[in-house]
Amino acid sequence: MNVIFCAVFFLSLIVLTVTAPEKLLSSLLSGAENSAKMALTLFCIYAVWMGLSNLAEKSGLSKSAAKALTPLTKKIFKTSNPAALESLAMNMSCNLLGIGGAATPYAVKAIAELEKDKNNWAQKLLFVINATSVQLLPTTVIALRASAGSASAFDIFLPSLICTSISTALAVALYTFGRRIWR
Amino acid sequence: MALIIPVVFIVVFAFAIYKKVKIYDEFSAGVKEAVNFTISLIPCLAAIFMMCELFEASGLADGLTKLLSPVFGVLGIPRELTKLVLIKPFSGSGSLAYLDEIIKNYGADSYIARCACVCFGSSETVFYISAVYFAGMKNKKLAMPIAVVLISTLVTTIFACLICRVI
Repeated sequence: MNVIFCAVFFLSLIVLTVTAPEKLLSSLLSGAENSAKMALTLFCIYAVWMGLSNLAEKSGLSKSAAKALTPLTKKIFKTSNPAALESLAMNMSCNLLGIGGAATPYAVKAIAELEKDKNNWAQKLLFVINATSVQLLPTTVIALRASAGSASAFDIFLPSLICTSISTALAVALYTFGRRIWR
Repeated sequence: MALIIPVVFIVVFAFAIYKKVKIYDEFSAGVKEAVNFTISLIPCLAAIFMMCELFEASGLADGLTKLLSPVFGVLGIPRELTKLVLIKPFSGSGSLAYLDEIIKNYGADSYIARCACVCFGSSETVFYISAVYFAGMKNKKLAMPIAVVLISTLVTTIFACLICRVI
């Protein structure tokens, strides 16, 4: 991330200095402004879902969900840390239900738990799975199409499902394979 | 399908009431976690957004789009989608704006718009996710996982453009 950030930032900086130096400060400021707006939007999403997820946690609901999924998550992520398993299970369920906003806090929790076991492999696997999008129902896109007057807003459901399964499967395969030759 | 979210809420609330959880206290405790969590994200968010803005303002983003359009064309990705495909890994809100534009310009049921929707729905904001997930971690050697995700996303995009011709 450091390399990418440095390369993109520095290159843009040079180009901008040559072409339009007066734009530099204003674009940095507007970037910061966008990040503040984004943080506010994210807070709203997290406030709703983390409030709810705390209820699920305190009532023991997420523990039951985690128990049901344990055989699967244990095998995939090679961990037996119960706190990590619980967060992993909730992350997976939220993803499958298509509520990505709720999935992120669980992923962060799971990664912090896996850090305690130094289970770097599982941390990155979780990232790979989440970064290739595992949602069953692309709710945002369907809503967008419906509002633009689509005759059948739902007809992208099947192609989306096929594509998202392929991308996750391919990424996991590449990751497992790549891990052997490149550490 | 619109019922998924309400049903999730009802189930969680009903179960919490049944287990005699102090709903108001615990819900606000969850929101408090959200506050801390969001604040911990801000430094990374700010840095990445500044980078994206510079990238766009310097004209490098447009240049890259022009450069890659023919390459994407060879791969079967329509020219109109180049910018969407390039922006998506960096910015969810930015790519959503492009998606909206494509849908409005070409019509919701056109091949281009359907293609754009499937590409958008089957990919994620890779760089943003990597920043958020690993914000507090020491090991940030993510080159391999990020490369893997980007390759899969590209392959899926090519496949999405194919499949949208059939389905």
